[in-house]
Amino acid sequence: MFNPIVILQSIVSGILMGGIFALLGVGFSLSWGVMKVINIAHAAFGILAAYIAYWGLTLYGIDPILSLGLSLPLLFLTGLMIHRFLIQPITRAREIVVASMILTFGLAVVLENIMLFAWSADERLITTPYSSQSIFLGEIIVKISSLLGFVLSIFGIGAIYLFLYHTHTGKAVRATWQEPEGAALQGIDLERVSMIAFGLAIASAGAGGVAMAYMYSFNPPAHNFWLIFLFLVVIVGGVGSIFGSAIAGLLIGLITGVSGAFFPFQWINVLLFGLLMGILLVKPEGLFKR
Amino acid sequence: MMSARVQRISTLFLLCFLALLPLVKPPVYFISFLFMIFLYIILAESWNLIGGFTGYLSFGHVAFFGIGTYTSAMLFQKLGLSPFIGAVPAGMVSAVVAGVIGYPCLRLRGPYFAVVTLCFAFIMDLIVKNWSFLGGSEGVHLKLVRMEIQSSRSIFYEVFLGLAVMAVLLVRWVQRSKFGAGLAAIHEDEDVAQTLCIHTAGLKLKAFVLSAFFPGVAGGIYAYYISYIHPDVVFDFNISILIVLMALFGGGSSWTGPLIGASLLSIVNELLSTFIKPEIARIIYGAMFIGVILFVPNGIVAFIRKRERVSS
Repeated sequence: MFNPIVILQSIVSGILMGGIFALLGVGFSLSWGVMKVINIAHAAFGILAAYIAYWGLTLYGIDPILSLGLSLPLLFLTGLMIHRFLIQPITRAREIVVASMILTFGLAVVLENIMLFAWSADERLITTPYSSQSIFLGEIIVKISSLLGFVLSIFGIGAIYLFLYHTHTGKAVRATWQEPEGAALQGIDLERVSMIAFGLAIASAGAGGVAMAYMYSFNPPAHNFWLIFLFLVVIVGGVGSIFGSAIAGLLIGLITGVSGAFFPFQWINVLLFGLLMGILLVKPEGLFKR
Repeated sequence: MMSARVQRISTLFLLCFLALLPLVKPPVYFISFLFMIFLYIILAESWNLIGGFTGYLSFGHVAFFGIGTYTSAMLFQKLGLSPFIGAVPAGMVSAVVAGVIGYPCLRLRGPYFAVVTLCFAFIMDLIVKNWSFLGGSEGVHLKLVRMEIQSSRSIFYEVFLGLAVMAVLLVRWVQRSKFGAGLAAIHEDEDVAQTLCIHTAGLKLKAFVLSAFFPGVAGGIYAYYISYIHPDVVFDFNISILIVLMALFGGGSSWTGPLIGASLLSIVNELLSTFIKPEIARIIYGAMFIGVILFVPNGIVAFIRKRERVSS
């Protein structure tokens, strides 16, 4: 049981998995932090992108990475529209966070069932010619598809980081998050900025969804399961923190991977939820809040 | 608005009508449908004590329902305790669990409380599924006395009618009491309430425990109603969300809101699932959540009252 190879293997696959959690969680964290919107439908958009990639691959033989070129702008636009027509009307509500949770829950149900309608509840798996291949590092196996998902995550998080810290609009997003009124006084158009941030968050969910689809099979209801990890990433990493999300994602992947080597599968979720509850009760502002 | 007297008399008439309904032996389907409405009224009204009055949105209230179901099922299975007696300890167990969970969790506010209650419900579901003592993921079969369906359904119907009336009256009483005023103060501004010497932590805990009791009792009876208990059914996450929606749709700040919300949405749900293909019904169901938040954010009761004020 305490075979070092097994442990090392689970650490490696845990880290690869964690990178993807981080990419999925980063946009979730962004919309929670900047717009005070808890987007329950976040993971559902990830599934949507995974289906677009799946369609591109099975119907036209387009590589999932390439199909992101189509699905990301599409999701970005969808995000803009959702923000304009669904989120903006409730931004003046007294309890926007709670209202947004119920609203986006409805959105998730709508999306899930549209996808069920279009693609049925069958489990799908993205199988590219290279996805069955693996690299061997000594006795540790690294699947190419997992590695690709991980690399995609690094690029995704890197892109969001660059946007937030090195572009004018990105700095406006951060300013809005830190002090909305101050940002408005500086001539930042809050609605436009949050619209862009929301579009970006949805697009990042799409990238995360495709990365996830490289490793796991998916079907429309699977987003409920992914959502758990989103909450974990955001609560552990601290709401709105990019860096925190990245670290938290890796950490959670690691915990999931390593505990998978020791516990039966069904108890891992109990462990994760227990962890989430514990962190919420002890340190609700997250472990990595600046 | 009707005068108070007319209102009281018409309510009494409606209650008598509902209580005597089983005597004319209406179709079993109809009785079962009303039974489900009563169940949701009980759940939504109870939820409102904490969620509507204080603004602490519990997204895991189905857990208390589920705990109630399993408690009374186990009492029957292991000790042979009769259904309707077992429901009382079931409610008590739910209330005790609520106390234990609520004490640390009620310190969290807003979305954090919502998330932590959500987690709690998931954990309960997973624990029950993996605990063979409770039947695990195979569920529990209750071996009940065979009874003619019409009369057994009628009994359950009457019991739930009584329970629903009790729940509504309790919430109405709380709303008009000093306790309710304290809860409203917490909703308005908890910090200010605290500085006014309102013991907010105690009040919240009391409301939370009370709000878990009736779902527990209802669950305890529901166990016998369905007689086959599965964690996927009695810990269904969608029930949690539906309760929240019902209460908010009706309007969370008063006892009438959940009553109206639960009745209306149950009817809408039933119509959707009877007449429309399941996927499309679910899409409409999801759109309903969006519609409620966008168009009637303060609930339908407040919406109608506002309309009336404008027109008069």
